[in-house]
Amino acid sequence: MNPHAKLIISLSLITGTTITISSNHWIMAWTGLEINTLAIIPLISKSHHPRAIEASIKYFLTQSAASALILFSSMINAWSTGQWDITQLNNPVSCLMMTMAIAIKLGLAPFHFWFPEVLQGSSLTTALLLSTLMKLPPTILLLLTSQSLNPSLLTLLAISSAVLGGWMGLNQTQTRKILAFSSISHLGWMIVIIIYNPKLTLLTFIIYTTLTSAVFLSLNQSKILKLSTMLISWTKTPMLNATLMLTLLSLAGLPPLTGFMPKWLIIQELTKQEMTPTATIITLLSLLGLFFYLRLAYHSTITLPPNTSNHMKLWYTNKTPNTSTAILTTLSTLLLPLSPLIITMT
Amino acid sequence: MTYFVIFLGVSFILGALAVASNPSPYYGVVGLVLASVVGCGWLMSLGVSFISLALFMIYLGGMLVVFVYSVSLAADPYPEAWGDWGVMGYGLGLVLVVVLGVVWGEAIDFWEVGVVTVDGGGVSLVRLDFSGVAVLYSYGVGLFLVAGWGLLLVLFVVLELVRGLSRGAIRAV
Repeated sequence: MNPHAKLIISLSLITGTTITISSNHWIMAWTGLEINTLAIIPLISKSHHPRAIEASIKYFLTQSAASALILFSSMINAWSTGQWDITQLNNPVSCLMMTMAIAIKLGLAPFHFWFPEVLQGSSLTTALLLSTLMKLPPTILLLLTSQSLNPSLLTLLAISSAVLGGWMGLNQTQTRKILAFSSISHLGWMIVIIIYNPKLTLLTFIIYTTLTSAVFLSLNQSKILKLSTMLISWTKTPMLNATLMLTLLSLAGLPPLTGFMPKWLIIQELTKQEMTPTATIITLLSLLGLFFYLRLAYHSTITLPPNTSNHMKLWYTNKTPNTSTAILTTLSTLLLPLSPLIITMT
Repeated sequence: MTYFVIFLGVSFILGALAVASNPSPYYGVVGLVLASVVGCGWLMSLGVSFISLALFMIYLGGMLVVFVYSVSLAADPYPEAWGDWGVMGYGLGLVLVVVLGVVWGEAIDFWEVGVVTVDGGGVSLVRLDFSGVAVLYSYGVGLFLVAGWGLLLVLFVVLELVRGLSRGAIRAV
C-alpha cells in the first residue's frame, strides 16, 4: 500500500476511535464510528484478492447497517426525551435498537456471521486490528449506556455468544477463524457482566486485547494461517512456539496465567449478584473454547512428529525478534499476580 | 436585507433567463447553478431554511453532478455561448417578455410578498436563518472539520480501492 494512503488511513483510524470514545453527543459518536469503518476498508482489501474484496464488502455492509441503526435509535431517543446525551438513553425502544446495533457492530452471537468470514479474508495484522481496535468504540458505547440497557437481553446475547463462539470454533482448521470464534466467546464474557460491573467489562476487554494481540503477532511472525502450517512451524521459531502455547492457554483462561483474571472476577461478581446459574453455564461453555485452544497449543508445540519428519530444524533463520510480541507475550502470561493493582486501576 | 432579497430575486430571474435562452447544456448549466443558489437564498429569506437546504443539496449535490457526468459523456464539440446572435436574440426576447409581464400585470404587489417579510425590513436587520451560516463556521467549526474530514476520507478510500488498471475490485489476481 502507498505510504501516504497508509498514513491517512491509520490517522483516521485513530481519529475515529478517539472521537467515538471521547464524545458525549450521539452524532459525534456516530461520526467517529463511520470514520472508523471507512478507514479500515482499504486495510481489509489490501492484499487485493477476490476473497479480500469480498471480506471488505461484507464488513462495509454490516457495519453501515449497524451505524444506521445507531443513528436511528439515538434520534428516536432525542425525539422522545429532547436531548442527545450518550449516557441518558432512556427510551426503551431506542435501548433495544441500540443493543442490537452494537451487537451487530461487535459480532455478538445472533449477528456474528460476518466476523469469521471477514477475518478469514484479511491478513493477520488487519485481523488483529479488526478484533481489537475496531471493537473498542462499540464496547465503550455499550459501557456508557449500560445502566439503561435491558439485563435479560444482554444476558441472552452473552450466553448465545459463548455457546456459538465455542461451538463453531470446534471444527475449524484456519487459525484466523478460530481466533474469530474465540473473540466472539470472549465478547460473551464481557457482555454478561456489563450491567453489574461495567469496569470489569473494560478490564476484560483490555486483557483480551493483550492476549489476542500476542497470539496474532506470534502467528504473524511465521505466517501461520492454518493448523497444518502451525504443525511444521516449530522448525522455524521453536521458542516462539513454546511461548505461543502459553499465550493460547492464557487465552483459554487457565489459572496461573493472565487470562484467568477476568474470568475469575466475572464469576465472582456474578455469584455476588446471586446469578449462580448464569455463572455456571458460561463457565461450562468456556470448556468448548478450551478444546480448540488446547488443539492449537498442541499443534504449536509438537516437537517430535510420530513419523519420519520431512523437515530439518533450520539452523539459521532470518526471523528477527519482535519487541512488541515479546512484551505482549510476557504481559499475557505473567500478569495474574498483579490482579489487585489492575483492579484498583480500572 | 430588503436590497439583498431584491438582488436575489433579480438574480433568480436572470438565471432562469440564462437557462431558457441557451440551447447548449454546457453553458445552460451555469444559469441553472445561479438560479438554484439564489432561489435557495430567497427561500431562506422567507424562513423556510429546511426546504431551502434540501433543495440546495438535491439540486446542486445530486442533480448537477449527474448532469455534469452526462454532459461530459455527450459533449458538444462547438457549443453556442451567449455571444452568438441567435442566443442573444432569444435572451433579449425573453427579457422583453418578463418586462412586459411586470408592467402589464402590475406585478409590484407580487414583489412585496417576497421582499417585505416580518423581520426583513431595513438595511442592517439580518434574518436569523442567514446567521446560522456564520454559526456553522464559528461555534460549529469542530464538528464542521470532522464532517469535512470524513467526506475527504471517503474520497481517499474510494481512490485506494480502485487505484490502477490492475486493481479493479472484482478482477481476479
